[in-house]
Amino acid sequence: MPFDDLMLRHRARRRQVLLALAGGSALTAAPVWGRTPEAPLPVVATFSILGDMLREVGGERVAVTTIVGVNGDVHRFEPSPRDAKALLEARVLVLNGLDFETWLPRLVQASGFAGQQVLASDGVPVRRLNAEEGHDGHEHDAAPNDDDAHGDHAHDGHAHGEADPHAWQSLENGMIYARNIARGLAQADPRNAAYYASRAESYISRMRALDNEIRTGFAAIPKERRRVITAHDSFGYFGDAYGIEFIPVAGLSNQAEPSAADLARIVRITRESRVSGIFIENMTNPALAQQIARETGVLMGGTLYADALGPADEPAGTYLGMVSWNAGRLLYVLRQAGN
Amino acid sequence: MAAVAEPTHEPAAAIELDQLSLGWRDKVAVRDLSGCFRRGSLTAVVGPNGAGKSTLLRGIMGWVTPLAGRIRVNASADSLAFMPQQGDFDRSFPIAARDFVAMGAWRRVGPWRGFCRSERQRVEDALHAVGLGDFGRRPLATLSGGQLQRALFARLMLHDADIVMLDEPFSAVDRATTEDLMTLLMQWHERGKTVIVVLHDLELVRRHFPQTLLLAGQGVAWCDTEAALTPENLHLARHLCAGDYL
Amino acid sequence: MNGIELLYMPFAEFGFMRRALAGSVALALAAGPLGVFLILRRMSLMGDAMAHAILPGVAVGFLTAGLSLTAMTIGGMLTGLLVAMLAAGVARLTPQREDASFAAFYLVSLGVGVLLISLRGSNMDLIHVLFGSVLGLDDGALILVSVTASVSLLVLAVIFRPLVMECLDPLFLRSESRMGPVVHALFLLLLVMTLVAGFQVLGTLMVVGIMMLPAAAARFWVVSVAGQMALAAWLGAIASYAGLLFSYYANVPASPAIILCAGIVYFVSVTTGPQGGLWQVARQARARRLRLSRIPERD
Repeated sequence: MPFDDLMLRHRARRRQVLLALAGGSALTAAPVWGRTPEAPLPVVATFSILGDMLREVGGERVAVTTIVGVNGDVHRFEPSPRDAKALLEARVLVLNGLDFETWLPRLVQASGFAGQQVLASDGVPVRRLNAEEGHDGHEHDAAPNDDDAHGDHAHDGHAHGEADPHAWQSLENGMIYARNIARGLAQADPRNAAYYASRAESYISRMRALDNEIRTGFAAIPKERRRVITAHDSFGYFGDAYGIEFIPVAGLSNQAEPSAADLARIVRITRESRVSGIFIENMTNPALAQQIARETGVLMGGTLYADALGPADEPAGTYLGMVSWNAGRLLYVLRQAGN
Repeated sequence: MAAVAEPTHEPAAAIELDQLSLGWRDKVAVRDLSGCFRRGSLTAVVGPNGAGKSTLLRGIMGWVTPLAGRIRVNASADSLAFMPQQGDFDRSFPIAARDFVAMGAWRRVGPWRGFCRSERQRVEDALHAVGLGDFGRRPLATLSGGQLQRALFARLMLHDADIVMLDEPFSAVDRATTEDLMTLLMQWHERGKTVIVVLHDLELVRRHFPQTLLLAGQGVAWCDTEAALTPENLHLARHLCAGDYL
Repeated sequence: MNGIELLYMPFAEFGFMRRALAGSVALALAAGPLGVFLILRRMSLMGDAMAHAILPGVAVGFLTAGLSLTAMTIGGMLTGLLVAMLAAGVARLTPQREDASFAAFYLVSLGVGVLLISLRGSNMDLIHVLFGSVLGLDDGALILVSVTASVSLLVLAVIFRPLVMECLDPLFLRSESRMGPVVHALFLLLLVMTLVAGFQVLGTLMVVGIMMLPAAAARFWVVSVAGQMALAAWLGAIASYAGLLFSYYANVPASPAIILCAGIVYFVSVTTGPQGGLWQVARQARARRLRLSRIPERD
């Protein structure tokens, strides 16, 4: 029957079309054949600044967990079981080194972490710590000093000759950090090495741009005015890089209540050092800082970020944002001091 | 049934009670008392424990609202003075006896006005009248029980009120002091003050008080002392209060 | 630097020391006399309880407006008065006595306060509220403390006589005048005001110390009420001065140093004070024994 022939031919046609479609779609999937779908590389950063850098360099190929988070205090941190668990599940650990994370060796041992450790500060020219009291500032070389060069000074607080761990405060060092991180990720995940390298380079070029901007800004300010007081000596590298003298004075940060002696010392040093501004860290009682500003007539500079980033939605929520913020505050204060 | 003598009504009544009931929600202390304290009278209020004697005085002061009936005090508020039972004040408070007595001048001096010379003289006179002339500077805490009672009397004297009410003024005091202070009360009575005293000592009442109100939750007798303190009345009072002793 | 200079140099050299001295002396002048009355009325622990009762008000002020003086002051006053009124109300309307009802309410208040502060602020903020910042007094805080002290002393002078009567013989006052409850309420108001101003200077934990320690010490030197009040104010001022010097030379926190000095003043008073101090008691006991031993034996 002619009708039956027609139906047969239709059915055949339909089958052909379907087969063709199937074949076509199979072909489009061809590039995926032979590879398993990729999960991001689990990595752990010890604190927020490294965490941000990791995210920049690693992009979407990494899943970053940060141990000491936003506004956290790395010096006083106590690890919890949750941190051990996160570490165990990671394949790469990025740490600062230079004795910054004193709690880390025990955490690594306790968690049984067997993955790769990346020393972010590898190859960074290390700065030695001054005494906590403000001196007339020494100029330290970028290269590590001999320990006995300053043996005649008596200091309290940090032992003299200890390495200053806050190397990231200088953008030059930040670039070294980025390269170290890229290299470390490439070792753990060779397939994406090129990806990490290119991301690191673009990150570094942004750092360089910011660095130039900051240098130009500070150069415009006369040297004698580039002197400020902070409560903690975390800005040594920044100071060396841009020619600013940071006078650290202990006794304002993180104490329930200072003594009159502490406050008097700070006021006295401020008066004697003829600084342009006073900067406090995230956690101090603002009433005391205001008292000092009132007493000495020196400008209150506000907050500088030293060991931790601010919340993600704030300017200091990223590494570049933090450096930019600190530089901005300093520039503002130093410019004002001239008037 | 012992006769309850009718109180004599006179126009010059200092305090009038009309069907007075005093007490609290769960306990009625004084029930249905009527009568009056004549002006210038010297009346003893006696009765067993729990008879409502203190409550009556406090009611007259206005510190307890009547549950029923009325109290009428025919004198200004200034002219009504009350000495409550002794347990109420802080004996160890650092104040000199003289200053303590001087508190009695409140009505005239108030919270702020200074003590003029005449007022200070009155304080001295009061101290002398009670026999505490040399004790003015002594702290209150160093006074004995008897001396303290004298000081309280002196304070009351300073008030110079027309109607004076005292609640158990001799309960913790020796014989000599009691006699001295009783003399004082007699002097006030002679000067025309209306004096009402709650007492336990019936012998003292019989000796010195012309009028007596025998109270036992309700009025048992209110007339001159001899008629009031008959054995039958006393027995009735005891029975009414299921009281222990008089 | 000779000895005398040691005593005034820190204050001459540093403005913040002068402010701290001014603020704590003003507080001591107001707090001492109030403390004397608290002791006379057997309400010594009430001061501490009241200091804790004002905490949620301060906390709410802090949460709504940060470290704003006005907000925290108003908050503290409202809560303090509320707790006092509730306690008094419960005491009047139920069989419970005022000290028990007050204890109940102030403990609830304290818990609420700590909770509120921990919710929004960090532990640091709580510590600042609890410890105060005597070294960080700004103009606003100084003015608040001075005005509070002046008003408090003025009102105390005005209501002195009825207040004494209300402490000594409340029934007598009741029979003479209606001022009793008014005076009682005014006293509580002054107490709350002084505590709220004081927590800026010394914190809620220590402000009671400057109120009670000098007052407790004064009774060992002077008998009369007015004398004790004056002496308490003066002893508190001395303790503030000494405490600030102590903080300066020994490098210890300031407000605990002040309270410690007040404590030393107290211990000296307890032992050497002429009105019932331990030495005097011992001397009198010895004299009595001597007198008794000299009585000749009778046959």
